[in-house]
Amino acid sequence: MATIINADTSDGLKLTSDTSGQIDFQSAGSTKATIDTSGNLKFDSGYGSVGTAYGCRAWVNFNGTGTVAIRDSGNVSSITDRGVGQYTVNFATNMPDADYAVHGSGKLADATNYGRQLYPTGTFTTSSCQFTAAISTASPVDLLHCCAIFTR
Amino acid sequence: MRIIYETSDGGVAVIVPAPEYLLTHTMEELAAKDVPAGANYEIVEDSVVPSDRAFRGAWTWA
Repeated sequence: MATIINADTSDGLKLTSDTSGQIDFQSAGSTKATIDTSGNLKFDSGYGSVGTAYGCRAWVNFNGTGTVAIRDSGNVSSITDRGVGQYTVNFATNMPDADYAVHGSGKLADATNYGRQLYPTGTFTTSSCQFTAAISTASPVDLLHCCAIFTR
Repeated sequence: MRIIYETSDGGVAVIVPAPEYLLTHTMEELAAKDVPAGANYEIVEDSVVPSDRAFRGAWTWA
């Protein structure tokens, strides 16, 4: 049961409401997106059925060498330059716990040496995540561009 | 602006603010949130932090 907003192909907008607290968005009677009573946003978008969207809760793209600077970001208050190839991403709004997923990437120079690693190090916390930039187990290096995303 | 603080091993860390965050917060508020508790820190102009990182590991708090 749900309150349904349906874009019907013959009758146009059709609204059906109940007291379940869930909202379904339909096209021609087929559910394409849902917001359930737990606040989960679910969508189809070619998946075949509605599934929960797990959002990117923070992201950052920054210059890791020279004058270290954030190029752009979302839900990030700052980065901390802790030394050569060592950075911390600080969240503007804390994560609900420290069990989020992280992905980092970077490159060493504009035209060459792509694929350098920016990997999380230390303990994940709700307020920040530490990264080290390096090539395999070699010593840390400063990267020209660093990118990190956090999914929860 | 940047925030520099003394790390536990005597080195220097540099906090680089996100421009978006500074639309709604001050540097002092950022320092209160992102500088480790008890660390000596200072809010400085960008130009105070060297862009030459050849000896980044040798930076010390003076």
